[in-house]
Amino acid sequence: MAMPLIHIENIVKKFGPFIALNGVSLDVRAGEVHALLGDNGAGKSTLIKVLAGVHQPTSGKIFIEGKEMHFRSPRDASDAGIGTVYQDLAINPLMSVTRNFFMGRELKGPFGTLRMDEMNQIAHDEMLKIGIDFSDPTQAVGTMSGGQRQTLAIARAIYFGAKVLILDEPTSALGQKQQMGVLKTMMRVRARGDIAIIFITHNEIHSQLVADRFTFLALGEVIGSGSKDDLEHDEIRRLMAGGVDIGDLAKEIDQVMAEASV
Amino acid sequence: MATNTGRSESDRMQQETGFQRLVRRPESGAFSVMVVIIIALMIGSNGQAFNALGLKNNIAIIAQFGIIATGAAMLMIAGEFDLSIGSMIGFAGMSMAMMLKWGLPFGFGEATPFMAFAVTLCMTLFLGWLIGTIVVRSGLSSFIVTLAFLFFLRGVTEVAYRLINKSTQISGLQDFKETSWFAELLGGEVFGWFYDLWFMLGGNLNRREEQWVTGFDARFLWWLVIAGVAYFVLSRTQLGNWIYATGDNRDAARANGVPVNRVKIGLFMFTAFCATMFAACQVFDTNTSDAAKGNLMELNAIAIAVVGGTLMTGGFGSILGVVFGAITFGLVANAVFFIPWLDGSWYRVFVGAVLLAAVFANERIRKRITGGI
Ligand SMILES: Nc1ncnc2c1ncn2[C@@H]1O[C@H](COP(=O)(O)OP(=O)(O)O)[C@@H](O)[C@H]1O
Ligand SMILES: [Mg+2]
Repeated sequence: MAMPLIHIENIVKKFGPFIALNGVSLDVRAGEVHALLGDNGAGKSTLIKVLAGVHQPTSGKIFIEGKEMHFRSPRDASDAGIGTVYQDLAINPLMSVTRNFFMGRELKGPFGTLRMDEMNQIAHDEMLKIGIDFSDPTQAVGTMSGGQRQTLAIARAIYFGAKVLILDEPTSALGQKQQMGVLKTMMRVRARGDIAIIFITHNEIHSQLVADRFTFLALGEVIGSGSKDDLEHDEIRRLMAGGVDIGDLAKEIDQVMAEASV
Repeated sequence: MATNTGRSESDRMQQETGFQRLVRRPESGAFSVMVVIIIALMIGSNGQAFNALGLKNNIAIIAQFGIIATGAAMLMIAGEFDLSIGSMIGFAGMSMAMMLKWGLPFGFGEATPFMAFAVTLCMTLFLGWLIGTIVVRSGLSSFIVTLAFLFFLRGVTEVAYRLINKSTQISGLQDFKETSWFAELLGGEVFGWFYDLWFMLGGNLNRREEQWVTGFDARFLWWLVIAGVAYFVLSRTQLGNWIYATGDNRDAARANGVPVNRVKIGLFMFTAFCATMFAACQVFDTNTSDAAKGNLMELNAIAIAVVGGTLMTGGFGSILGVVFGAITFGLVANAVFFIPWLDGSWYRVFVGAVLLAAVFANERIRKRITGGI
């Protein structure tokens, strides 16, 4: 099997006395979607912030294509090929699609002028590649749907050299139809074969639709992992609930209802 | 697009006609108000507001407003305010006039107009840098930091006048325009060909049937240059993209590598530059200066920027709108000279009403662009 594109080993992250991550390891290969699942507060966002250079890990190692990395800033991480699409997307609603696409990395001509036509063309083409035909790249992002904004942020990360694409709950704020749109976008990126995708979600159905591998976090630790074929549906649900058996939960709920009806 | 793959989300945007697009531009409101004012003034003054001298006088104040409003608008687009503009004008005017009268500081001898301007500009740019640095480093609101400088700089100006000059005004400086090309550049006349042409076509005559007005004040040219550069920077350059991004969502801009602090500090320096140009044109035009110069100009500048379609919340604005706003404000401020029965205080009534209307209009524009959030 090929070397993983990104390999992380025993990442520990403490916020003062609070242990947000307690020895998390993870491998993701190119052309693979790796779902990172877990309940609220499990440490998913903390893990990706470590990968994105926002937080420095207390201990542990990060390897990209076999080389150990030390990220001191988000810049370091993005230079190393980690593209992060945060929940808030880092997008400016009042600005046009193109101006957002190239924000901070504009194509310049003489005297710092923008090569606007070329930028419009690239923004249009890159978004078309992963699924939206945006006829007017001068349109303000504020008029786009949530799914389209997500696609813009993904296309931007890929165009600027992301080898590892991290998506933090990309479907959580969207309606049904747009959620499927984003999943389709992810599958198109996966089909390129050269990008490793880390997909953070707490929606088991979405993860089962697109992911090749799964890692479950609970209270800062990995409580289970495996490939699509290894894991049974019920097992996934059990791990999603933080390792509690769904059957037990159902019993507890019955008990509460019984008490309430007394 | 040639390749149409069925119906997509983007097809749901209603196609607009050219006229609809024009009406919905952010500067359309400012434009209509301007047209109304021009017509009203034309009728109210029996055309006097736009005869040769009326035009020159109107353009003089319009250019003053335009210069500082351009600076204020650029800064507001980046999400900050500058309330120190008016005091900066007073400070810069004092600094230049004082050097012209009493010589360079620390006994460096007489000041040429160029030296007086250059030394003053160094000081005001430094002050702009200082204000900007305090704002970005402290994270305090620029409203409060620049309010502090509004008082501080006005106070420094008055104290300096009394200490060195014994009086808070300087008048009767020699007319440097006669001896210095630099003073002529800032305080002289420009576009003489316009009035020459007007004269050749049979207008622009005084009572003795000679050519009446010979040119516009030089600040007209400087306004056009400053507004032109600002327009170019905002719409065509990387810096422009950074300015919009900084004001729209600072964290998103920073996450994408935009140096938001440097952008803001640079724009505080730009408003200081605009204030200095305002003061320099005034000093070299009239050969006078006093401690009250520029009073309340910061508020006029902000009001014009807002009426021109600049959002109070940053991230959006139009230099063309600011041009229309400056024309409107300038004409109304001057109207009292052309319509004798008019009480000058109507200017402030007008500003208040138009400002309120503009804020509502801008809010609608913002909602439309951001899809109603
Ligand atoms: N900067 C921080 N300082 C202190 N505690 C933090 C910080 N960031 C996250 N945490 C804590 O770490 C835990 C994991 O949070 P997070 O990674 O956001 O979870 P998830 O994204 O899985 O919902 C939470 O209990 C949260 O309160
Ligand atoms: Mg989270």
